[in-house]
Amino acid sequence: MEKQTVQITQSTSGDSRLRALIKTLSKQKMLMLMSLPFLLWVIIFKYIPLWGWTIAFQKFRLARDLFDQTWIGLENFRFLFSEPQFYLVLRNTLVMSGINLVLGFGTAIVLALLLNELRRMYFKRTVQTISYLPHFISWVVAANIVQTALAPEGIVNVMLMRMSLIEQPILWLGIGEYFWGILGVTEVWKNVGWNTIIYLAAITSIDPAQYEAAEMDGASRLQRMWHITLPGMKPVIVLLLIMNLGHILESGFEAQYLLGNGMNVEYSENLDIFVLKYGMQMNNFGLATAAGMFKTVVSFMFLIAANNLAKRMGESRLY
Amino acid sequence: MMRNKKWLRSSVAVMLAGTIVLAGCSNNESGGSNAETGGTNGEVSTDPVTFSYFSFGTNKDVLASETTIGKILQEQTGVDWQMEFVVGDANTKSGVMIAGGDYPDVINDVGQLPKLLDAGSLIPLNDLIEEYGPNIKRVYGEHFDKFTEDDGNIYILPFSANVNEYVTEPDIGGGAFWIQRRVLKEFGYPEVKTLDQYFDLIAQYEAKYPSIDGKDTIGFITSAGATGEFFSIANVPMHLAGYPNEGNVMVDMETHEAKLYAASDYEKQWLAALNEMSRKQLLDPETFTANKDQYLAKLTSGRVLGYFNYGWQVGDATNNLKAAGDDDLRYVALPIVFDESVRDAYIDPPSFVNNRGVGITVSAEDPARIVQYWDNLLTDENQKLLQWGEEGVTYSVNEDGRFVMTEEQIANRNDNEFKRTYGWAYFDMDWPKYGANSTFEDGNAYSPLSQPEVAAVNYTEGDKALLEAYGIETFSGLFAEPQERPWYPAWSIKKEQGSPEQIFNQRVGDLQVKFYPRLVFAQASDFDSIWNEYLAEFNKLDSAGYEAFVTAKVKDRVAGNW
Repeated sequence: MEKQTVQITQSTSGDSRLRALIKTLSKQKMLMLMSLPFLLWVIIFKYIPLWGWTIAFQKFRLARDLFDQTWIGLENFRFLFSEPQFYLVLRNTLVMSGINLVLGFGTAIVLALLLNELRRMYFKRTVQTISYLPHFISWVVAANIVQTALAPEGIVNVMLMRMSLIEQPILWLGIGEYFWGILGVTEVWKNVGWNTIIYLAAITSIDPAQYEAAEMDGASRLQRMWHITLPGMKPVIVLLLIMNLGHILESGFEAQYLLGNGMNVEYSENLDIFVLKYGMQMNNFGLATAAGMFKTVVSFMFLIAANNLAKRMGESRLY
Repeated sequence: MMRNKKWLRSSVAVMLAGTIVLAGCSNNESGGSNAETGGTNGEVSTDPVTFSYFSFGTNKDVLASETTIGKILQEQTGVDWQMEFVVGDANTKSGVMIAGGDYPDVINDVGQLPKLLDAGSLIPLNDLIEEYGPNIKRVYGEHFDKFTEDDGNIYILPFSANVNEYVTEPDIGGGAFWIQRRVLKEFGYPEVKTLDQYFDLIAQYEAKYPSIDGKDTIGFITSAGATGEFFSIANVPMHLAGYPNEGNVMVDMETHEAKLYAASDYEKQWLAALNEMSRKQLLDPETFTANKDQYLAKLTSGRVLGYFNYGWQVGDATNNLKAAGDDDLRYVALPIVFDESVRDAYIDPPSFVNNRGVGITVSAEDPARIVQYWDNLLTDENQKLLQWGEEGVTYSVNEDGRFVMTEEQIANRNDNEFKRTYGWAYFDMDWPKYGANSTFEDGNAYSPLSQPEVAAVNYTEGDKALLEAYGIETFSGLFAEPQERPWYPAWSIKKEQGSPEQIFNQRVGDLQVKFYPRLVFAQASDFDSIWNEYLAEFNKLDSAGYEAFVTAKVKDRVAGNW
């Protein structure tokens, strides 16, 4: 008997909790409905494909059932981690990613600050449009522009020679050590305008009263930028930084693939190109998947570390 | 508790919904490909039908009946073709095609055969050929064993089954060292046999005429910087040593041993020569960096004195130069070797390439109809149509029964645009056909440019002067006759996907891409130490294993087991 009572109380408390849940659900019905498609999207396109990770443990052959595949355990990972080339491309990936991160953030923030200070709307719009434009060019075209500009008879060499800064044309893309710099500059040229958009949006949300107060207190323009605009942008900057650190092993593919050549291969080849050559082109999808898993794990570690750091420093964060 | 269960139930429901959606998709697909098998009953039908043809080579997409040849063939058979060609990377495309099971009716494999066979994408043709292919048997009969797979089935029809008398091509379409004609003219058409003589001639000319139209001349280039064309520089040692294009090995004529030439003395000698040219500023500094467009632009500019390429790599540039009409700026192919005593082997020996061909996929709804179409292609009449066109329109027959062409007809036969509208660009290759060195039963050459009467009309005044200066009839006259190599070509030996041999090739390729530029642009004093570094890296790879693999396959072929 005693037992039964206990059960009854339990189920009533469960019932009330359930009722509360249903109540909240019905209150937020619209919100739930609106988020449902995205939840479905995430499950179908992001979680179900995780099934494909099994490929990393197979000598995978296309167009065959799971049961017809040969399982080889960690062989693909062993190949990957025992390959000297792998560590070279890992270095290149991290360095290029780092350069893109630092340059990308730095230039976009500075440009956003400068644009914000512009008073002539017409000029501001023009600058913005011009700086956005390269973002919409495909990498194939952009790479061709860069190759042409950097050729021995290209505009860069011609200009440097006219200014007597160099005597012989420099084969820019033929000197491996220059590649990271060239890539960094190219990325900035292509994406700086685009990257400023979100910062400009963050700046508009800063209360104008703060500026007025600062002006009354006699703060100079630079001081206003430093003490009001930048702190106002900080939450956005931190959030973006966390998200970008999650992509630390994605240093891009097209730019390196298209601008890379035999002479700079030691600096230009990144993880994605390595996977393309030893994985995809040889039909070795197991290796490609193994590399993909490795990337995911590293990205997760970076993401969590950055998020914890932000938490500890009391900044806004992802979760 | 309840709440948890509810969650579980709803997530199960979502998963289920997801699976149903996915299952729905895959059902549709398999339904589509199941419907194919029916509907083949022995009769030759001429009902109009359009099949799809996909090639892993590059060309412009077309509907076959929009070309003259395609239209004539459609009238004969009722079959039309939606022809599509690969865009971007063929390896990636084939992977996507196989993974999705989304096949055209017919595939021209261009190097993707191992993958397609591995995935079971192609159907066996043996029974279909037996039933519908009298002409296929006539043309391919004696070669069947060369392209029968280990399981006893035939999956593709290759393009190189030569029939009747064997003729060699009068002009060089393969690999060679090319030199600008004004260079030869300047020095009174000297005989150029060795690499030293060749580079020396270029150096002398460059010293005399350092610029053209205000731009610096370029002594020597190759298209090593173009995507996927690194072989333009890496293959050269093999040719200089007197071997034909076997890929990455040289096969001894007597012992049939295959030797890699990467990291050999031959390679060292070649790179040292390039290094010397580079230090004399005669080698294009952009050798490893110019992309294909930049490269072809240089070739057509007339600034280049010499280059190494396979003819088909630079066809557009040479055609344009010919059309431009300045003979001095055109190029002529030379059979350059390391040493006077070496017999050159630039011209391909009679060969049967067994891993390039067209096959029918498992998605084809009416394979019998396709085999009938192919069989119809292989009649003497249609083979003439596919190479020569229509009598009285694109060629004529003289009183001796020989096929001849006027200058205009030849110009059309060579014109890229005309070839597209007429259909040669789509039909004179990459379908079941006679090999390029065939003759017809009436003695006329299969390929128009192999017909001496046509070659003679095709030559410009400048061509004729050059031929006369060297006392030869055709441009191949400078080259040695090819010798019998029954295993040729070694590059067509199949390597398993992801096999040690395939990975070995990739690794060697990676090493070469890395070290060639360093070696070529090195200071004279550093060359040897970089070379030793390269050797050390190379020796880490299992080259002996690779050579043993190729040697065994070559010996199999010599013994008649292809």
